[in-house]
Amino acid sequence: MAAFWHDPNVRMVFWALVKILVILQAMLGVVSYMIYAERKIAGHMQARVGPNRVGPLGLFQPIADVAKLFFKEEFIPDGANKVIFHIAPMLAVIPALIVFSVVPFGPQDALRVTDLNVGLLLFLAMSSIGVYAIVLGGWSSNNKYALLGGLRSSAQMISYELPMGLSCIPVILLAGSLSLVEIVRMQEHWWFVATPFGLLAFAIFMITALAETNRAPFDLPEAEAELVAGFHTEYSSMKFGLFFLGEFANVISISCIAVTLFLGGWNGPWLPDAFKFVWFFLKLAALLFFFIWVRWTYPRLRYDQLMNLGWKVLLPLALANVLVTAIVVWWRAQG
Amino acid sequence: MMPFTMPSLIAVDWWALGAVIALSVGAMLLLVLEFVPAPPASNRGAFVTLLALLAAAGSVLEVRDARRSLFDGMFLHDGFTVFFTVLFCVIGAVAVLQSWDYVKRTRINHGEYYALLLSSTLGMVLMAASNDLITIFLGLELMSLALYVLVGFRRTRLDSSEAAMKYFLLGAFASGFLLYGIALLYGATGTTNLAKVAMFLADSPMIGNPMLIVGGLLLLVGFGFKVAAVPFHMWTPDAYEGAPTTVTGYMSAGAKAAGFAALLRVLLVAFPPLMSEWRPILSWIAALTMTVGNVTALLQTNVKRMLAYSSIAHAGYLLVAVVAGGLDGGSAALFYLAVYSFMNLGAFGVLALLGRGAEERVTIKDLAGLGFRSPMLGLAMTVFMLSLGGVPPTSGFMGKVYLFSVAVKAGLIPLVIVGVLNSVVSVFYYLRVTVAMYMQEPGAEPVEIAWAPSAAIAVVITLALTLWWGVQAQDLLTTAQRSILGLL
Amino acid sequence: MTEYVPVLLFLLVAIGFAGGTIGLSSLIVPRRRNAVKNSSYECGVEPVGDALQRFTVKFYLVAVLFILFDIEAVFLYPWAVTFRRLGLYGLIEMALFIVILFVGYVYLLRKRALEWD
Repeated sequence: MAAFWHDPNVRMVFWALVKILVILQAMLGVVSYMIYAERKIAGHMQARVGPNRVGPLGLFQPIADVAKLFFKEEFIPDGANKVIFHIAPMLAVIPALIVFSVVPFGPQDALRVTDLNVGLLLFLAMSSIGVYAIVLGGWSSNNKYALLGGLRSSAQMISYELPMGLSCIPVILLAGSLSLVEIVRMQEHWWFVATPFGLLAFAIFMITALAETNRAPFDLPEAEAELVAGFHTEYSSMKFGLFFLGEFANVISISCIAVTLFLGGWNGPWLPDAFKFVWFFLKLAALLFFFIWVRWTYPRLRYDQLMNLGWKVLLPLALANVLVTAIVVWWRAQG
Repeated sequence: MMPFTMPSLIAVDWWALGAVIALSVGAMLLLVLEFVPAPPASNRGAFVTLLALLAAAGSVLEVRDARRSLFDGMFLHDGFTVFFTVLFCVIGAVAVLQSWDYVKRTRINHGEYYALLLSSTLGMVLMAASNDLITIFLGLELMSLALYVLVGFRRTRLDSSEAAMKYFLLGAFASGFLLYGIALLYGATGTTNLAKVAMFLADSPMIGNPMLIVGGLLLLVGFGFKVAAVPFHMWTPDAYEGAPTTVTGYMSAGAKAAGFAALLRVLLVAFPPLMSEWRPILSWIAALTMTVGNVTALLQTNVKRMLAYSSIAHAGYLLVAVVAGGLDGGSAALFYLAVYSFMNLGAFGVLALLGRGAEERVTIKDLAGLGFRSPMLGLAMTVFMLSLGGVPPTSGFMGKVYLFSVAVKAGLIPLVIVGVLNSVVSVFYYLRVTVAMYMQEPGAEPVEIAWAPSAAIAVVITLALTLWWGVQAQDLLTTAQRSILGLL
Repeated sequence: MTEYVPVLLFLLVAIGFAGGTIGLSSLIVPRRRNAVKNSSYECGVEPVGDALQRFTVKFYLVAVLFILFDIEAVFLYPWAVTFRRLGLYGLIEMALFIVILFVGYVYLLRKRALEWD
């Protein structure tokens, strides 16, 4: 038994599992309280008080919400494709979770699950799998609103995936690596957001992040005024809960990546190495607040405006940004 | 990490790459020009296309004796490349002359027509110049994708859309097979470079390796589709019939030549060590292709369709040359390809002249009496038909004589017997067209002939080449032999 | 390849979590089916026809264009990683590549392929 424990492979798997479970729990906690925070902030922005009945200041509201979802009656419309109908909500959550496996929360090995030399690619791959959840969910429901919502949403997400992918390239050019740890190390002295093209890339990334996560002002897939609830019209109970969870998990994972790529990750003044991870979480909290802030500030775009913004503004802008960055990097390398 | 050599811009031979540059710049220019208004009568697109084709041909001819290996041996500039680049450019130029008036008459005069023509020519050039399976695939896709669209260019006609759809679906399958074959070959040999594949096979003859055999067979399927060999010929009649006639002529000549160029390079450069494996397979395919093509052509009443089956039959003859292999077989294939391209282009060029506006009258009945109503056109069509049938004194005759004598020398007596018998059969249906033109009365509504100066030039060029190579074949033959030498 | 093992583990845990949540909830939730409840939602009126009908071809167009430009982005990644070693050659090559795609992009714009009206 002792020999078994000393096998490095076993130890690695064990510690990886521990980290994964901690991240999973932390993520669930953050999601719960982000929803609470969103409702509170929204309330105050609209001169209301927000949830305040369950527990002190309404702090137990998320627990009550989850319990409610768990016991809700579940129904599946006639004519729905049962298998896909069940798989779709799972697909909404799984990719968003896997992204956390490459996020470096701090400089120590213990504060990340793994360090891939293609970490950024993993993030992009996972974010494109997210489209399947929505289009399959919308299609398998056998509901016109769901189908339209799913289609719109997939068109929106793939349209914004292009500028998102392109806005990562200036960072790769500056860092010369796809490993997220390496990218953070390169920002030890100067965050990428503090360069002109880095700032532009960050702006493009954040706009596309809003669209990728289907958050307002890009929440057209669930434009309730015209599409009831979009792709998840027919979903109820915990399957709806997973879509909901997936959306917020996506917000958090994309914010983590934004912090890593542009805001210097764990880098920050004053704190010793052991506590650098605090910086990471402070930046993350700021970005999460940004997501909530935008949602309750801007009205929803019209569909043609949305597509125009993606294809005619962000795409050429991101492409030009890539070229300019390349020229500057080459120029600097000349000395 | 792989060893990494710094590429340099200075090391690129710009003349050798000139054809690719001219064709791609031309195609892009045409796309952008689409949005610059022009008087409706102008034929700017055709003009730009001609210039690009001329520049491409001129550029490779400038360095025709040089031998260059570019982009890590992916792109090879040698005699073979020069031969095919010039061939494709001339085919393209003749097609442009034929289309000059035709696209306006049939109201398909969009800028994209010429842009697609140039892109597919570029694909063909890449296929002939590639020394790497990946770039061959790239060229093939570039050529095919442009052709799929060109075939369906008469959007308002149902048969054109149907043809494009069939061609696209089957073509996509064939591309998939080809790519899968490439992947398996890469798995078996560890490289996609043709010369390195040959080296690998020579060092460790792994004849029995299933991965290698399946990969090679899938490769044959892919190329077989592109050159329309039986049993991968199903798309040909429909695609040829539905496509605009000028496009049919262009693809029957260009796409076939490009398919054979790539097939020749793959077989003669990469697979000589496995010759005993692929020769019997190709022999059977050749015999089947000749026979099926000719026998089915006998039954056709639509001349376009008949020529489609005839082009299948000609793929069979060409495969005989490929089976013969070596210097003789290769040069016979090149010779026959050049000859075949122009007689076929000529025949389709004549067909493109028939009809008023967008109507298409290409049945044998429509041709009745054409020989008296337009002696020039009748004569030209007769020469093309005789040449396709292999009757002296035309280039088709010389091509067949050379091809079959090479095959006899290579000991392929059964194949030659099949080929000669087939040639005799084929004369029957080619002569049916001539008989209709000279010995039948035109119907109640005689076909209108849409003469145009550019089309006349195209007819004259193809006619002249067909007759010239019939009496004076030596130059072309020497060129073909010199071109194939670099491969061996 | 060992650095990929944790990703695989994460995948398994995530599948287990998502599947477990759905499985657990479907064990305990009430189910009282009837025909009206099971019909698909259409603002309270009787559903008309099947939901899986034809939709506008624009969506296909967006999908095709996406593939086109996504491939471009895919080419840009390895280029960006090795950019410093490729130097001027890499810069010019990629600028050419982007210009070629830009010609296609201008063509799309002028053909109004990106208009939603």
